[in-house]
Amino acid sequence: MTFDFYLIIESLPEIFGGIGLTLQLLFLSAFLGLMLAVIFLLMRISGRWYLSIPAFIYIYIFRGTPILIQIFVIYYGLPQFEWIRESVLWSVLREPFGCSVIALSLNTGAYMAEILRGGVLGVDKGLHEAGAALGLSARDRFLYITTPIAVRLAIPAYSNDVISLLKATALASTVTLLDVTGVARTIVAQTFAPYEIFLSAAIIYLALTWLIQRGFRLFEKHMSRYVQQ
Amino acid sequence: MSDLTGWWDDYFWSALVILKVFAVSLVMTVILGLIGATAKLSKSKIANILANMYTVVFRGTPELLVLLIFYFGSAITLTAIAKSVNPSIQFLDIPPFWAGALGISLVVGSYATETFRGAFLGVDPGHIEAGRSLGLSNLQTLLYIRIPQMWRLALPSFGNHMLSLMKDTALISVIGLEEIVFTAQMATTVTMKPFTMYFVVALIYLAITTVLTLSVMVLEKYANRHLEGT
Repeated sequence: MTFDFYLIIESLPEIFGGIGLTLQLLFLSAFLGLMLAVIFLLMRISGRWYLSIPAFIYIYIFRGTPILIQIFVIYYGLPQFEWIRESVLWSVLREPFGCSVIALSLNTGAYMAEILRGGVLGVDKGLHEAGAALGLSARDRFLYITTPIAVRLAIPAYSNDVISLLKATALASTVTLLDVTGVARTIVAQTFAPYEIFLSAAIIYLALTWLIQRGFRLFEKHMSRYVQQ
Repeated sequence: MSDLTGWWDDYFWSALVILKVFAVSLVMTVILGLIGATAKLSKSKIANILANMYTVVFRGTPELLVLLIFYFGSAITLTAIAKSVNPSIQFLDIPPFWAGALGISLVVGSYATETFRGAFLGVDPGHIEAGRSLGLSNLQTLLYIRIPQMWRLALPSFGNHMLSLMKDTALISVIGLEEIVFTAQMATTVTMKPFTMYFVVALIYLAITTVLTLSVMVLEKYANRHLEGT
């Protein structure tokens, strides 16, 4: 057993080929997840029980179960129902990619909703009152006072969550998708050189994590530019 | 429900398997987290660098990949060693249970390292100095002053790490542990009811994580009992 550097160089282009799919999963799920998160956040803080209770249940279920199981329920589970196989959604649910994106979005949406709620709750009440005193409507107060501050407060937790999402995209390889992990597993099955290949894949994920952290740090700086240090 | 007839006992036993994985990896996570936090806070440069490398690497790599490296990596290493001793051995691996438990503990341990580090820093330095002046050794300060105060501070984050650990146990089915996902797969091939079977798995996990969340809440209340009424 030797560590074969030549094999790493040989298979790197192939593993790099998986980055495209990993990034597609990441960006699509992060975007859809954020949409869901905003909707559920608004439901959660609406103060109406028929909106906040469903949002709470959604968040509770998706945060309380493993993402792998969520992917399996959606990918292997849903075709059990005849009406799903006949619905328009079937063209998405038939594909492992569509199922992975749905599962990842639903999962990350639940986490992000809680993160955003933390941000909203962190906004100083006095600012809100000041807005009311200036005659801003509830909608304007939410848009121009709460949102910019809540976004800034939520960035650190949000960036951690995007990194978790990146790590979760690796699970798409369990439903036959050829993302970075999926490609690596295929190569290992052919060459049986787990160290070389899986470590190369791990380095790619580390580099992506670093980029995400960097990007969010810049964004946070931009959002805090008026905050006195 | 009738689809599940005859499968309840399989689900029960495989739920016990994941609870066993959880228990073992919880202990390992705490140990790894304490070692990591001590290394990060120590004065030794080498310990600092090693601990930082540990947290950066394991917080940035997907859990699944860590498990795959551990299981398949250990398998070819062990097989190579075994072959050099006894050429008739064809294959030798760390059982998926242990490879998996170690893998998820290393990942969650890297998060626990940061939590414990913060909690250690939260203990009033005056208390440690007081211990020193009373003549306590380093170990005694750790056991009687630092840990009794830091666990309370670490509890809220550590509760979340416990939940991640619990949910990560589902991944070990990928490297071949016969646990709850495996039971669902088996039941599916017989009954052709994949949704029902995987949904039960989700419900079992939800039940376990609910119990965990509630226990952490009770523990937190107990830990902060001296603050009540202030």
